Amino acid sequence: MTTRLFARNFLVAMLAAVVLWPVSSARGGPLEVMQGTEIFTPPPDSDIPQGPFGDLVRKGEKIFTQTGRFARHYVGNDLTCESCHLNRGRKAYSAPLWGAYVLYPRFRSKNHMVNKLDERIQGCFRFSMNGTPPPVTSQTMKALIAYSFWMSRGAPVGVKLKGQGMLTLPKPGSTPSVLRGRKIYVARCALCHGMHGQGRTSHGGQVFPPVWGNRSYNKGAGLYKVAKLAGFVKMNMPLSKGDTLSDQASWDVAAYVDSQPRPANPRKRPRS
Amino acid sequence: MKVVLSVLLLVAEIVAFPAWSGATPLMDWGLHVAKEGNGKPGSTACMECHRLDGGGMPSIGSPRIAGQPSQYIAREIREVKAGKRYGPVMAGVVQNLSLRDIRAVALYYSRAKSPKLPDVGPSDPTLVGEGKHIATRGFWKKNIPACVQCHGPNGYGVPPLFPYIAGQNRTYLLRQLMAYAFLKRQDDPDGLMRGIARRMTMTQRKAVAEYFSSLKPPIRDVP
Ligand code: HEC
Ligand code: HEC
Ligand code: HEC
Ligand code: HEC
Repeated sequence: MTTRLFARNFLVAMLAAVVLWPVSSARGGPLEVMQGTEIFTPPPDSDIPQGPFGDLVRKGEKIFTQTGRFARHYVGNDLTCESCHLNRGRKAYSAPLWGAYVLYPRFRSKNHMVNKLDERIQGCFRFSMNGTPPPVTSQTMKALIAYSFWMSRGAPVGVKLKGQGMLTLPKPGSTPSVLRGRKIYVARCALCHGMHGQGRTSHGGQVFPPVWGNRSYNKGAGLYKVAKLAGFVKMNMPLSKGDTLSDQASWDVAAYVDSQPRPANPRKRPRS
Repeated sequence: MKVVLSVLLLVAEIVAFPAWSGATPLMDWGLHVAKEGNGKPGSTACMECHRLDGGGMPSIGSPRIAGQPSQYIAREIREVKAGKRYGPVMAGVVQNLSLRDIRAVALYYSRAKSPKLPDVGPSDPTLVGEGKHIATRGFWKKNIPACVQCHGPNGYGVPPLFPYIAGQNRTYLLRQLMAYAFLKRQDDPDGLMRGIARRMTMTQRKAVAEYFSSLKPPIRDVP
């Protein structure tokens, strides 16, 4: 495909999002269908075209993987987008961008409104990055949207793809226990995230992100819900050993991590 | 295993950055062991295979250990002693080391400095590119994260328990990846390296060994 065709598709998609918006709001969001049994494979890096559109995509990737460096003003902690959306936003069950782009606009119970993708991304800045949302018109936002659009090339629109979002675990057999969770944390997580959840740095760079404390996600974030965190941990942690904790262990360790101190929910913070 | 790991972590965290003033007797003893062994029957000087400056010997696949975190060095010696890390050459050498000997020599080498020593035989530049890709991007199809996600930027290590691999000799790197893949080395926390090495192809293992051996080792001020 040529660069121009891409740029055009991108514009068409943006336009479609605007046009379709009232439609999806009328039926309460896209169909909740699983598409096939295969996990979607996003296009390879080598396919990113030359020219302004390709540049925007590459910029989006830089912001995504080195958020503190390339979108400094909007970030309030030591995480990057990739800290939770693994493999540069590609890994299934870590809310991959290819699963997201085709789903928006959609209704979200969190704020009882139809949300667009840029608003969803703003949410991650405000809560998961404990920062300030970049304006919809900012270059930062445009680059992130272009990057998401690029990654969803070839994915069916308006449906829930397999591996989209985080895994929803079945209700735990017994109530998640902070005490059991602590033991699991010490045995399987502290090696990387530290005994105090502080993460680890090396040669001036953050290697393992903090999972609690004032440099981690705040109490308004998606992962501050034990169920969400349990699903994330189950499929993604310990790094490279996803799906090795039992469901119950994932619930327990999530309960422990989310019982630790972290920044307040900005919705509840007094406005300054 | 899990309990051992947690205790280890606690200890590692407490002693991660000790103050060095006053540690001189231990350093001196470490130098002695490295240079001449500990004096007990059968003891061998480490420098015979790792050099006094810790640069290792690429020709026999003996690793560079200069500047590795002292906790890591001490831990590996203990694991070789305990038989969890298969290392027939090392096993014969470290058997009679006391815990104090191990602490001393680990401290000594963690503070040693050595430039990268040349590898034997020509390198394969086509493999370096593939190795770099895996090292910095991973191979997620097989659930392999980028090596630098655990070994730190440029493979410079993340103390106390993630060793640096940049600038290590090629023969040793490949040998370790094989040892993890075929379970001769079983001392890695939570089986992380065993899992990763096992999921790699032979070509991929060679490629990352080529790549990391082509880099400069880190310059470390704090062990
Ligand atoms: C602390 C973890 C965390 C960080 C950091 C984070 N996110 Fe998210 N993100 C989440 C969670 C949790 C969800 C919700 C997934 C779900 O509902 O299943 C989400 C959802 C999303 C979605 C929608 C996905 C979908 O399938 O609906 C997008 C797009 C997104 N994030 C983008 C970003 C961007 C861009 C950044 C960096 C500025 C970022 N996120 C940083 C945790 C995080
Ligand atoms: C081998 C190292 C390692 C281990 C062990 C590990 N993690 Fe992680 N974890 C990471 C890395 C690296 C990231 C960031 C992913 C990225 O940048 O690609 C991460 C990200 C996270 C995040 C999202 C980002 C944040 O900081 O909030 C959470 C939550 C998390 N891990 C929890 C856990 C839990 C719970 C365990 C134990 C079950 C665990 N991790 C074990 C390396 C590890
Ligand atoms: C006869 C040669 C020889 C002597 C003497 C020797 N080593 Fe080794 N050492 C090796 C070899 C070979 C290896 C690689 C082992 C393997 O292949 O598993 C090794 C591995 C190591 C490692 C593991 C390095 C890593 O990166 O994991 C450490 C630490 C070490 N030696 C320390 C020492 C110390 C300290 C002494 C002195 C008390 C010593 N060695 C004496 C040959 C030797
Ligand atoms: C999930 C975390 C993680 C990832 C990703 C990872 N490693 Fe490791 N690696 C470790 C740990 C932990 C050790 C120390 C293990 C031990 O003590 O035996 C280690 C040890 C090693 C060693 C032995 C070093 C020595 O001095 O003996 C080599 C070689 C190595 N890793 C290569 C790699 C390569 C190449 C990659 C990328 C393909 C990689 N690692 C990715 C965690 C990781």
